[in-house]
Amino acid sequence: MSALSRRRILFGGAAVGAGALLTACTSNEPDNSAQVNTNTDASANPNAAAGEKVVIGFTAPAADHGWIAAITNNAKAQAAAYPDVEFKAVEAGADAAAQRAAISTLVAQKPTVIVMLPHDGKELDSAGLEAMKAGIPVINLDRAFPSQAAFRLQIKGDNYGMGLAAGHYIGEQLKAKNVANPLIGEIPGIDSLELTQERSAGFKTALAEYGFKVANRRPAEFTADSGQAAATALLQALPKMDALWNHDDDQGIGVLAAIKQTNRSEFFMVGGAGSKAAIDQIKADNSVLKATVTYSPSMASSAISLARLIGQGKGMSDLVELQVPKEITLASETITKDNADAYAKLGF
Amino acid sequence: MTIPAPREDLKSDDQVPATPEQNDGDSPRDVVLRLTDVVKTFPGVRALDGVSLEVRAGEVHCLLGQNGAGKSTLIKTLAGVHHADGGEITWLGEPFAPATPQAAMRAGIATIYQELDLVDDLSVAENAFLGHEDARLGFTRRRSTAQKTREILSRLGHPEIPPRTHVRDLPAAGKQIVSMARALSHDAKLIVMDEPSAVLAHDEVDNLFRIIQGLTAQGIAVIYISHRLEEIREIGDRVTVLKDGRTTAANLPARSTPTRDLVSRMTGRSIEYVFPPRRTLEARDPLLVVEGLSRKGEFADASLTVAPGEIVGIAGLVGSGRSELLETIFGARRADSGTVTLDGQRITGVGRAVRKGMGMAPEERKSQALLLDEPVYKNMTLASFSGFAKAGFTDAGGERRAAEKTADLLELRPRDVTRPVRTLSGGNQQKVVVGRWLLDDTKLLLLDEPTRGVDVGARAELYQVIQDLAERGVGVLLVSSEVPEVLGLSDRVLVMREGRIVREAPAPEIDEDTVLDLVMSGSLTTESILEGEPA
Amino acid sequence: MTTQTAPPEAPAKQERRKLDENTLRNLGLVGVLILLIIVGIATKPDLYSDPTWVKNNFLTILQQASAIGVVTVGMTFVIIGGGIDLSVGAIVAIAGVWSTTLATQSYGAGGMIFTAIIVGTAVGLINGFLIAYGRLVSFIATLAMMVAARGLAAQISGKQTQISTNSTINDIASTRPLGIPLLVWILAAVVIVGWVLLNRTTFGRRTVAVGGNPEAARLAGINVKRHTMLLFALSGLCCGIAAIMLTSQATSAQAAMANLYELDAIAAAIIGGTLLSGGRGTIVGALFGVLVFSTITNLFAINNLPTEVQNMVKGGIIVAAVLIQQFRFQSLTQLFKR
Repeated sequence: MSALSRRRILFGGAAVGAGALLTACTSNEPDNSAQVNTNTDASANPNAAAGEKVVIGFTAPAADHGWIAAITNNAKAQAAAYPDVEFKAVEAGADAAAQRAAISTLVAQKPTVIVMLPHDGKELDSAGLEAMKAGIPVINLDRAFPSQAAFRLQIKGDNYGMGLAAGHYIGEQLKAKNVANPLIGEIPGIDSLELTQERSAGFKTALAEYGFKVANRRPAEFTADSGQAAATALLQALPKMDALWNHDDDQGIGVLAAIKQTNRSEFFMVGGAGSKAAIDQIKADNSVLKATVTYSPSMASSAISLARLIGQGKGMSDLVELQVPKEITLASETITKDNADAYAKLGF
Repeated sequence: MTIPAPREDLKSDDQVPATPEQNDGDSPRDVVLRLTDVVKTFPGVRALDGVSLEVRAGEVHCLLGQNGAGKSTLIKTLAGVHHADGGEITWLGEPFAPATPQAAMRAGIATIYQELDLVDDLSVAENAFLGHEDARLGFTRRRSTAQKTREILSRLGHPEIPPRTHVRDLPAAGKQIVSMARALSHDAKLIVMDEPSAVLAHDEVDNLFRIIQGLTAQGIAVIYISHRLEEIREIGDRVTVLKDGRTTAANLPARSTPTRDLVSRMTGRSIEYVFPPRRTLEARDPLLVVEGLSRKGEFADASLTVAPGEIVGIAGLVGSGRSELLETIFGARRADSGTVTLDGQRITGVGRAVRKGMGMAPEERKSQALLLDEPVYKNMTLASFSGFAKAGFTDAGGERRAAEKTADLLELRPRDVTRPVRTLSGGNQQKVVVGRWLLDDTKLLLLDEPTRGVDVGARAELYQVIQDLAERGVGVLLVSSEVPEVLGLSDRVLVMREGRIVREAPAPEIDEDTVLDLVMSGSLTTESILEGEPA
Repeated sequence: MTTQTAPPEAPAKQERRKLDENTLRNLGLVGVLILLIIVGIATKPDLYSDPTWVKNNFLTILQQASAIGVVTVGMTFVIIGGGIDLSVGAIVAIAGVWSTTLATQSYGAGGMIFTAIIVGTAVGLINGFLIAYGRLVSFIATLAMMVAARGLAAQISGKQTQISTNSTINDIASTRPLGIPLLVWILAAVVIVGWVLLNRTTFGRRTVAVGGNPEAARLAGINVKRHTMLLFALSGLCCGIAAIMLTSQATSAQAAMANLYELDAIAAAIIGGTLLSGGRGTIVGALFGVLVFSTITNLFAINNLPTEVQNMVKGGIIVAAVLIQQFRFQSLTQLFKR
């Protein structure tokens, strides 16, 4: 090959690559699917009327996963919908120590309320206490602090409940089909995390009610490629399977790919978290994915709304109490073909 | 084999370099390589300072010189690794300045380095053709490579070495043959061999010589570097002597030039050493007693004593076992047999040696003794900083004060003990190493080549420091390859050769010629003895 | 001429033993593989009684080894050449993410493959340039690249999982020419090309020289710096290929993909007899290393054993492999001394 033509090819390649990068940077702005609901009709909801100005400080781990990305996007979008809310986001960095530093910075800026998704509830307990001592109410998202004094409001999903919901759905379906001794597979996320263990415990408990148990369990790492690898191994280990629960819809992309690659369809699958792609697929009813149990990042939107109310000293209008309660646990809901439409807007 | 006739007129010949051409009247081979006043400077060092050399086709031209004389720099310049700053090199009648090793090899100059430059995990054939593989479109042609290698090995008289053996599995002699095969694979017209016999056993050397004779018979020129005079006499045609980067004698006949001439050209001093005046020493009980110390392959049955305040010098060449002996006395090497006692107590390891009051300044100052980027005071207190520590915490202030005292004693310049050692001159670095042992109550100091890399001016100071130490009652055992240094500084002299102490004498009773002869006499051939050399 | 010299008969014997050493190691690894399969048969006789399942199982083991296997081939070259590449997982991620952006996907399968390969090679070249000409230690340079490339990948992907909608790409993972997955064919091709490159070309020979004795390589006229740079580019190229394979398998790419591939690749190369200090290693051995890992994963999956134990066993095998090598090496040198 002549030097000239080689150069031309290299240049062409660089051009394609550079073009791809440029477009990548602009086209993937993750703002298209945020979940916003402010109930802005002030006549129906007096709380929606503009009140005193509230500064909300926000920190969440750097997202390497769709769910966390959705948390941040939701919080940002919800805050933007209120004219009386100023939103101050601080990058939480890569680990608990970095986030602790970020929270100190935030506390020094004296926001009205802090909303945070900690890297780890236990490790950031002291950061919550520090903010509360400084007189700033802390809203903990998803990962609970051990100290009661470290937060004003805890709003979280229900990991155990997710497992229960998935287990009940699978149990009911198999019972309806009259399957005795079904082979049930499970693909959890990163196995060392507490949330994974809670989900698996709930799943096991629910299945036990029907006299079922998990036949094989291959953990993945919340990524699509690890999901593919885990599913491939699982499918090989269970040449016949009746049902499968995959904890996480993001890794589910890979799980579904593996199922397609092995041409298997004798079982049905339940997802977890409730991503938009998964909800669409359930609605279309063209794959083994028949349901998903939610763990919705919409909790971030709610957290911002409640933070605003706490900042303004208001209660939740449907409750008798004059202030926002201390703990809210979202129910894990089961999305199937029948109700997929209603949940479509909550998918992330 | 062509042996130039011995030339009688050369003994008195002082011209440097000797003019070529008419010197060897009866072997009118073509001159293939000629160097005229070649200069090569490295930062701070003038490694080659006017080297002239003339090599003819089919001759074995020996290059003689002490360590640091510039032999390595010279051959690397020929090999295209270094580039000459000045002077002229002609190769086959053309000006020659190889830009890369590849260029030198293409031109027909191949070099066999002392550290054999082979890749252990490649085969014999692959090593022979490394860098100029027999390949088509990047794919190696194994069969033809093996065939060519086999031919070359046959030429070298070793058709039995399988070309596909990994070099790792060959003994040293076999590896050397592979190095030579590589040289021949380039179709070399000149092969430079840097101390090729150093790694070989005696009968293997004979074989090497046979190979060299075979090569020269094919018209290939060989530059042969060695400091074993007996080899030079056996294989060499002509000799060129280097000293301090300069040619001090050129084209001497290898067989007939008297040993003393060669030696004096190698060592002939260009500078006078300044030694402190000799002291008188009262007899005292020995401080250090070494009895029958042996290490296999290094030295055997060494016995010596050092009294307090006495300076004992060991003269010997590199490889005579002198440094190994010193390190064994210090406990850094384990003796196979024999004992070392200091003040009546057995020394069995470095830790014990240091605790009992022994200190050592090793030969490789930079790699063995100094933390170059640390300040002077930390280097000085390296052996004794725990003495300054309080409850495990080091006491920098105390260390610094102590180091300053030592610095005064040693006339360290600059006196600032917080400077990194790297910024000091060689002589002052050596003072730091010596100073380390003055902080403790050192009774015996072992010095290995204390003036290596130290410039002339600083040497005198260092000599004074060593003598001052002795006057304070410290015993000193020093090793040096510079005979005048040993003679000028020591009270008593030991001469080592091939692992044995061959002579012991009070310094005033022995002169430089005698020591040199003893040092080199392993190299003396029967011829030179017949010539009536003084023994 | 050959009378009293030492070298003559010794080498012939040593050649035989040398051959033995290489074959021995590979035979040992084959033995481990067979042992693992026997354990599989013993623990799951019901599964192994179905020939279709057995065939499928072996293909699955191979397929799961394919992407990491390709990466390991590149890693083996780098290690033989005296370096280490800690950034392979990150390079796979950036190449995968870059090739699955909406913009790149609009160029079709060809554009995606081309982008992955160019991006992988380019990142490898940057590594190589920093190491060869910037004189960074490869450990440091690729450690920095590992962090940076994942960062850039996260930036490009907006921290989202990027789904590949290109059916040609997605079909790579499910196509089975002659009944064998295309991914396995790709692995086979890369291994064969890698083997030829290492054992039959000047490039391979120089790689051994550069890693085994850089000074000798330099004195032999080899451009050590350029060669070092090319080795890292080669590793990057392998990562680019692996990125496409992995993207096809997962029908998506994301910044966190190919997590810890660097460690698996290094471990596989080492089990396969590659010296971490450079100068020695084999492609076939590295392939066996990857297969051993893949077979262990399979064995643990069919027995529904927890992955924690699986990781412990993997660690144990690495240590055992290195210990055995050291032992064999020592006994060899002792034999040699005699």
